[in-house]
Amino acid sequence: MYNLLFFITLIAVGYLAGTFAERYHYRSIDHREKMFINLPAVTIKTVNYPDDKIQSAELVYGSAVISIDYFKRFTASLRNIFGGTVKSYESLIDRARREALLRMKEMAGDSKIIVNVRIETSTIGRNANKKGVGCLEAIAYGTALTVDQ
Amino acid sequence: MIITNIETVPGKNIVEHFGLVSGSTIRAKHVGRDIMASLKNLVGGELKGYTQLLQESRQQALDRMVDQARQLGANAVINVRFSTSSVAQGAAELYAYGTAVSVE
Amino acid sequence: MKYTPRLPKSNVNVTPTSVLREFFVLALSLFGIVIVIYILLGFAVDLIVPRISTDLETKMSELFIRSVDAEDIDSAWGGYAQSLVENLQKRCTKLPYLFKVHVRNASSINALALPGGHIIVFTGLLDKMTSENELAFVFAHEMGHYANRDHLRGVGRAFVFITISTFLFGTDSNISKMLAHALNITELSFSRNQESRADEFALELLNCAYGNVAGATDFFEKIPKEQDPGKFGHYFASHPENPKRINHLNKIIKERGYKLEKEKPLPKIVQQLKK
Repeated sequence: MYNLLFFITLIAVGYLAGTFAERYHYRSIDHREKMFINLPAVTIKTVNYPDDKIQSAELVYGSAVISIDYFKRFTASLRNIFGGTVKSYESLIDRARREALLRMKEMAGDSKIIVNVRIETSTIGRNANKKGVGCLEAIAYGTALTVDQ
Repeated sequence: MIITNIETVPGKNIVEHFGLVSGSTIRAKHVGRDIMASLKNLVGGELKGYTQLLQESRQQALDRMVDQARQLGANAVINVRFSTSSVAQGAAELYAYGTAVSVE
Repeated sequence: MKYTPRLPKSNVNVTPTSVLREFFVLALSLFGIVIVIYILLGFAVDLIVPRISTDLETKMSELFIRSVDAEDIDSAWGGYAQSLVENLQKRCTKLPYLFKVHVRNASSINALALPGGHIIVFTGLLDKMTSENELAFVFAHEMGHYANRDHLRGVGRAFVFITISTFLFGTDSNISKMLAHALNITELSFSRNQESRADEFALELLNCAYGNVAGATDFFEKIPKEQDPGKFGHYFASHPENPKRINHLNKIIKERGYKLEKEKPLPKIVQQLKK
């Protein structure tokens, strides 16, 4: 009986804390994306700037490890029975990648453009090899070009 | 919406770009597919259930990326890359990203 | 290449549905499916169990219960109890079992019915007996379980459920654990119903063997308060609380007009053994 109560408490805590943290994080992400709107990140390699104008080109990267709350994890395991889109995990990976991109842009400083951006994801954490993953690491890297103009 | 894997759209001119766009989806298999897969493990061969699942996921990821590009006002996405990872037990996550451009 | 800074209007990568809603939909569907399977299993078990002949049951139980005799103690109780049970069976009931009573040394005030007709009774219970009728009621109650094949039913359902969930989700899964826990609760309440029916069977048997039902409720009135699980614990205890059982028995005694007369005392040879 106490096991059940404990479990329900964990789920409730997970839901409340998780929703709050997520909302806060998304607000921060939206704000920073507006700030960095003038620094584009693209996946292409060719640049249209003449060579003498380019001041510097250097590798920039950003990474984020986001974990998920217990409520979403439980919902995902339920979803595993019925199949379909695991909606509870979508926000997790979305946040991780956007955060990684933003950190990459922060590292780029006052560059004009970041080219050849690649994004990699991997799962880490204690349960990464077994079933039930909780943590996702996203890393974004590219070449930041500073142009004098 | 034109989608290419190279840096240009052959035969067209890229006018402007809008930055990175991406689409991701995460899908789980259900127990029915699981059981069929374990049975197939005995005889071997293609796991049609899983292939279909991943194909649908890939299509949905691409659709989402195109949707985002459209919202930015682009009509082509170039230099598209795919990435797969397993995020949850028994679920596959598909991610597609590229650069949204406007061509004419 | 010109760059036009724009932000997307909506987030395409996250479905705008409430996670809470998804959770409830999934949990309720799973719950519904489990209930349906449970009910179907109930019918299946009810169909199969009466068809398992006592011969088959005895043969199967020999596989598990090898050393039932090993913990028996040698005491005058053994012979007396065995003759009591055989007497009850010969005179008043047609159960096709070969009952064997095993007396074990333990302070537990309890008796068990194992597959194959093996009745185990503990010395803790025997010490509390004050009349033959009372002891007869206890044994008749265990025989009632055999008559209803109770010992086969409860086990069957739980076993099938656990097997299915382990097969689908693996032994570590949260869901398997929850299912096992939920089964503990419901299978126990199932057996409380069976206990009541065994009580009724015992009452009839007692009436047939002795002409009256004196001593039927004596045993329940003796179980100390500590062993009575009380109001909250009763949902998790496998025996209905004693006041309920006593009331239930008294009701039936009144309905069927059973008589209460003087109880037959225990033979001297076992009275000496009581502590």
